[in-house]
Order: sequence, then structure tokens, then C-alpha cells
Amino acid sequence: MSGITIDVQPMVEEPSRDVTRAGSAAGSDQPAEMDAVFELEGVSIHYGDFQAVRDISLRIARNQISALIGPSGCGKSTVLRSLNRMNDLVPSARLDGTIRYNGEDIYDPAIDPVEVRRRIGMVFQKPNPFPKSIYDNVAFGPRLNKFRGNLDELVERSLRRAALWDEVKDKLGNNGLSLSGGQQQRLCIARAIAVEPDVILMDEPCSALDPIATLRIEELMHELKSNYTIVIVTHNMQQAARASDVTAFLTMGEDRAGYLVEMAPTATLFTRPASKLTEDYITGRFG
Amino acid sequence: MTQDQFARETFSPDAPHTVRRGFEEALAGTKDDVLRLGGMVENALERAGRALVERDVELADQVRWDDSGVNDLQRSINLGITALIATQAPMARDVRELLALYHAAAELERMGDYAVSIAKLAQQLAAEPEVPMLRQIPEMERVCREQLHNAMRALVDVSETAAREVCERDDELDHLYASVYEDTLALMAVSPERAKQATHMLFAAHHLERLGDRVTNIGEDVVYLATGNIEDLNP
Repeated sequence: MSGITIDVQPMVEEPSRDVTRAGSAAGSDQPAEMDAVFELEGVSIHYGDFQAVRDISLRIARNQISALIGPSGCGKSTVLRSLNRMNDLVPSARLDGTIRYNGEDIYDPAIDPVEVRRRIGMVFQKPNPFPKSIYDNVAFGPRLNKFRGNLDELVERSLRRAALWDEVKDKLGNNGLSLSGGQQQRLCIARAIAVEPDVILMDEPCSALDPIATLRIEELMHELKSNYTIVIVTHNMQQAARASDVTAFLTMGEDRAGYLVEMAPTATLFTRPASKLTEDYITGRFG
Repeated sequence: MTQDQFARETFSPDAPHTVRRGFEEALAGTKDDVLRLGGMVENALERAGRALVERDVELADQVRWDDSGVNDLQRSINLGITALIATQAPMARDVRELLALYHAAAELERMGDYAVSIAKLAQQLAAEPEVPMLRQIPEMERVCREQLHNAMRALVDVSETAAREVCERDDELDHLYASVYEDTLALMAVSPERAKQATHMLFAAHHLERLGDRVTNIGEDVVYLATGNIEDLNP
């Protein structure tokens, strides 16, 4: 990842540190001039009586790939889904704190969650193309949004950006489900791009893919970040290390609520993490 | 129990202390090999110094022959570390430790070469009419061995403090070398017929001074391993 400019600073400079401060104030040491797409302040999320995440504060930089890592159940997918109000679809979900997207509180009652999801697209763990043609998969969102431009051009542009065009240009009428797993995932990325979002959230996008397809998605992410901000949840630490610019490590407390331990430039977090908790997790040593 | 303590114990409900027992064993084995390499170099240095003082050509020969063992072990260590990096994806302190060990092994191999060079000088000196050995040279050899021993100890303990002490003590070798330089120049001026012997002694001191610098490089590796910071401790 040489040549990548990283705007965030490590949470704390020295290794022998008080990690407890990172839990609630993560991101506060980041330089004020960072161009943040998202600013989370004191975000806590409950599902009914269960607190899934506690007091998370962080900032996501524009046109960078930010990875959320942590053990199962630490709330990283919950945090990801809160960024485009996907948790609204869970009736018992409740969010406290503030999430600002380009400075606007996306949980303000005046904000339309559908518009939020148009601007902040999402790609899921399992490729989920519609049982329609490749063309219609990509055109689906724009049609729904009453797109008035040249749809053919939009479909081609989206497929090109998703690095799929050359493989499907002669079979756009084929069913999306006829593609390989990796191609299906890139089709889903093309579908997300087609509605012209500026953020793409990815929830373990490669967990169902083979290593080559995984590397292609990672390469694609790298190409996409010049136009989009990408936030990825991954269980694969190597993927976070390879593909992201900034990594946030979350874990869970005694009450099982997830919290942020530290967020730092990826190269820093994977070579000299500030927190012993991070060190133990990424090196496979617990306790 | 604090939140962090709880997290440490419960990344997974049934989490063992480590899930990388094989990796840890390989890492420990690599460290043992580097320590063994350090012991071999320390031994070579002691014998080379003795060969120099005692004009023992056979002992010097042994040092030269035994260097292939140092080279073989260093290659084996580097291959092992390369394989661990390629297959185990080490992170954080693990990757720092492997890089530090890789570099330390390379420095030790080079120190072994200095011991061989000193052994060759011992043989060349033994072929010339005897002149009194400058007292600073065996002193430098002793300090070098102590420094090497302390650096390897710091590596075992991952002791930043001990590593910094090793680096600070390098000045002692620099002063001894400066003194040898003055004395050999004086010897050449007073007894031009002994210029060859004086030059051999000067070279031996130079090798020991350089060897000391390599030891401080290992000290820097230990500081990097302990802190993650790369520092020049022998400016």
C-alpha cells in the first residue's frame, strides 16, 4: 500500500499506554483537518435490552478504505449497518449518540433513510444478485430512482468500474446468477455503484469467495477509493492489512457490548498497535 | 474485573491462551538458533583474539574453518524466518521479532567474518618477526565479547534498557581504537621496519571496532522489537 496518504494518526503515540482512553474517545486525536465523511460521537446501539455497542466515537476519512476488525460479536457489523440506517429495519434496534454524514445527522427525523441508503451503498457477505439479467441487476436501482439519462451508458460505466465489463459485455442478457461467486460479488458492487453513491459499505464481502476472487475484489476496492469512500468489515485480518488504509479494532466488554479499542493507520496498527488488547488479538494471543 | 480484562479473557468464550502454538514454537526455535549463532561468533572471536596474542597459527586455522558453520546456521535461520513470514502472516510484535532476528542473524554472520579476518591477521603477524602486542587489542577483543554477550542477553530478555546500555558502551571501543591508531602510527614512525606488524595490528583493531558497531546494530534491533521505534543509537 505504498504511496497511500493516511490522514488519521495513531490513537496514542507511545506503546506503554493507557488504552482505556481509546475506548470512549477514539478518533479524538485525529487531526482536525481530516476530511471526514462520517463522524460518530458517543454511538451506542441496543437491540431491545441488549447493548450491542457502547460509546463509539470515530471518524471515517473520505476516499479511503477503513476496515473494522474484531472478534465475533464485537458489534462491527452493527456499527457498519448504522452508517446507512440499515439497523432501522430491525424493529428493536435503537441508536444513541450522533452519526454525521458530511456534517449532517443521518438520524435526524427530517432525513429520509431511503436517500441515505442511496448515497451510502452496501455490499453483503454473500453475493445476492437479483434473479434477473446482468443488465437489469445494474439498471434496477437507477430505474427505481427514475434515472433519466442514458441507462446503457450508466450500466456500462458501472460494470467497468466494478471491473466486470470485459467479462460480461457479450452476455448482458444472461441471468446474474449464472456468474461465478466472484463475478456475482462484483455485479453487486456494480449494482451499488449504479445509483451513484459516495460511500460503499462492505460487510465481509469476500468471505464466500476463493482467494483469487478475493484479491480481485481487494484490487477493485483500491481502484474504487479514488471515487468512493469504502468501509469494510472483515474477519480476515490479512485482508484488512492488505486492503485498508485505516483500521479500527473493536472488542467487547463484560456485558458483551462492543467498544472501540483503537483506530490507526493500518500499517501502524498491524506493526505496533497502541493497545495490548489489539496486540493480543492480531497475534492470536488471548490474555 | 475491568472491561479490558474481560475482553482479553473473552475474545472467544472458550479461547485458549493462544491459538498459534505451532507458530510460537517455531518462533522460539528461531530465537534459540540466533542465540546459538551468537554463541558461535563469541567463541570464534575469543579464539581469534587468542590466536592473535599467542601467535597460534593452528588456532587461527580452526577459526577460519569453523566459519562455514556460522554461515550455514545464518542461512538456515533466514530461510526459516522467510518461511514463517510467508506462511504464518505474523503481525505486531511477532513480525517485529522476526525482522529483528533476521537482521541480528545477518549481523552475527558479518561478525563471524570479522573474526575470520582477525584470524588471518594472526597468521600474517605470526609470519613476521615478533613485536609486542598492543595492550589495547586484547582489551578490545574482551569488550567486544562482553558487548556481544550483553546484546544477546538483551535480545533474549527483550530488554530495551540493556540494549541501550550496550549501545552506549560502544564509545569504549571507539576510544580504544583511537588509541591503537595513535600507537601504531608512533610505532611506524619510530621503527619503520615494523610497519607491517603495526599495520596488521591496526587492521585487527579496526575489525574489532567495526564488530562493536555491528553489536550496537543488534542493540537497535532489540529497541525496535521492544518499542516499535527505529533509532540510531550509534550516531
